Amino acid sequence: MANKKMTLALFSGSVDKLTAAGVILGGAAAEDMDVEIFVLLQAAFAFKKENAMTNERVAEITDKQDEFLASLKRLNAPHWTEAFRNAKEMTNVKIHICGFAGKVWHGEKLDDFIDLADDICGIGEYMTAAEESDINLFI
Amino acid sequence: MTQEELSVLKADKTVDARGTSCPGPLLAAKKAIGEIDKGQIMEVLSADEGTRRDIPKWCNKKGFEYLGTLEESGYFKIFLKK
Repeated sequence: MANKKMTLALFSGSVDKLTAAGVILGGAAAEDMDVEIFVLLQAAFAFKKENAMTNERVAEITDKQDEFLASLKRLNAPHWTEAFRNAKEMTNVKIHICGFAGKVWHGEKLDDFIDLADDICGIGEYMTAAEESDINLFI
Repeated sequence: MTQEELSVLKADKTVDARGTSCPGPLLAAKKAIGEIDKGQIMEVLSADEGTRRDIPKWCNKKGFEYLGTLEESGYFKIFLKK
């Protein structure tokens, strides 16, 4: 039986939403789903090499940022990049950087982004993948 | 299986995932299931309440047999057969 497919339009560049995306990716990996992630505008900022490990912005409940970040450590939660990497090791996950998004953050080539990224693509690929997927999420 | 049966059940493999939060125990189970043979029994130790509910559903989807859960002090022992 063919694996189920999930597409994720990843817009957010904040660690709270990226962490949530990592948790969902873990669930998809446990079920051997094929996953395609399209890194859109603000997420492309987080995927830049110089930002991935230092970016601590949160998108929601911003007045509790310190508590949130401390809780991730207390709970031994992996950094979102590690969660994404674990998922890639366990199932078929492809991560595409939106070409436009990359340029917004002065990322012109694949090497400008962390090695989780597989390629730079246009929105047409996302539309095709989303049409064919069983689950399509926007985070 | 009954709680009495589970309490004397000898697992072929133990996965101690008590130090991780969701989805850590589920992913640990997925990694470990590849290391046992069909018909063997695995126990997953988890302090995560969500995992207690996730493992039976995961077993159902993946074709493994969920045998039951023992509630220990501060954690769960979740048994399944590959």
